[in-house]
Amino acid sequence: MSPQPRILDVGCGRKKYPGSIGIDMSPAGQANVLCDWTRTPFADSTFDEVRLIHMIEEVDDIFCVLAEVHRVAKPNARVVIMTPHYTDHASYCSPAHRWHLSSFSLWFFSEKPAEYDYYAPAQFRERRVHVTLLRIWRALGFQFLVNHFRWFRKFWEYYLCFVIRGKTVEWELEVVK
Amino acid sequence: MPRILDVGCGPTKYPGSIGLDMNPSTAADVLCHLDRGGLPFRDNSFDHLRAEHIIEHVADIIATMEEFHRVTKPGGTIFIATPHYTDYSSFRDPTHRWHLNTYSFLYFYPGGMHGRDMWYTKVRMREVKLNLRLLNLWRTLGFEFLVNRSRFFRQFWEHYLSFVIRGKLMEFTFEVIK
Repeated sequence: MSPQPRILDVGCGRKKYPGSIGIDMSPAGQANVLCDWTRTPFADSTFDEVRLIHMIEEVDDIFCVLAEVHRVAKPNARVVIMTPHYTDHASYCSPAHRWHLSSFSLWFFSEKPAEYDYYAPAQFRERRVHVTLLRIWRALGFQFLVNHFRWFRKFWEYYLCFVIRGKTVEWELEVVK
Repeated sequence: MPRILDVGCGPTKYPGSIGLDMNPSTAADVLCHLDRGGLPFRDNSFDHLRAEHIIEHVADIIATMEEFHRVTKPGGTIFIATPHYTDYSSFRDPTHRWHLNTYSFLYFYPGGMHGRDMWYTKVRMREVKLNLRLLNLWRTLGFEFLVNRSRFFRQFWEHYLSFVIRGKLMEFTFEVIK
């Protein structure tokens, strides 16, 4: 029998992922550990899965946080990141949102040219990208197209997304060590 | 006489107010940098605080609002003017750190986070008034009237229309709750 997978929920707030260890900066949530996102008290290669749900848009430095995620995750661990698409009103609804991101915003962690190692040494493999759109656009089939054809997603990001607006982006990454 | 603080007053201080700015060549009465320590006033010092085109520049909106809330009396009002994120002015100034919409301050309203109070801050205030301004063309066509008149239309506009029928300026008046 394989042991229970170890899951870290970074910025768990009040909706900690079942069975995970939650970290946050506020004691008012469900956190097990209060700490800085870039200096967590965990040993290298501890977790099988790390989740960052609606939190990377708020951090001071996305590079530093993902470097720390990379450090505490095991080789081939799953990393799930969810954030508003920058064309959704929700990207602007919080005074804590520092970053406005698109479905290609994490590309340099997965398919970066060698010189980018200088900025982002942490390496991930992109397993899946899932975009949600507003209800009308979903009903008209655009969400299906965006998620099933990478070329269409690119076309949507370049030409359509200020009209056919996005809602959330979810990445599933795999840690490369 | 009500005590008024004009934060980031620039050269045109609000009449009858104490002006605060970080730049000595303004009409400021008090020189202070908002990102380096708090405001140099006691708790509950002011009946009214104004911050016009300031909040989009600060390093930390939540910490700044905590200071605004601290120095304003209970029941006092805070006026904030800032660009809507769909206006070109939100992006034309390289010192603008934040891009905001008409829901950006829900964070501080009682029950503002889907019926619950936000637990990352103790600031509580109520929205007394919101005046949203659109570009001339859209105002002429009646859209400014609609977004200010109907909450439902404003929501639809924020979700679906605001990248085409673009916003310009948001003027919020908040009442401080303590």
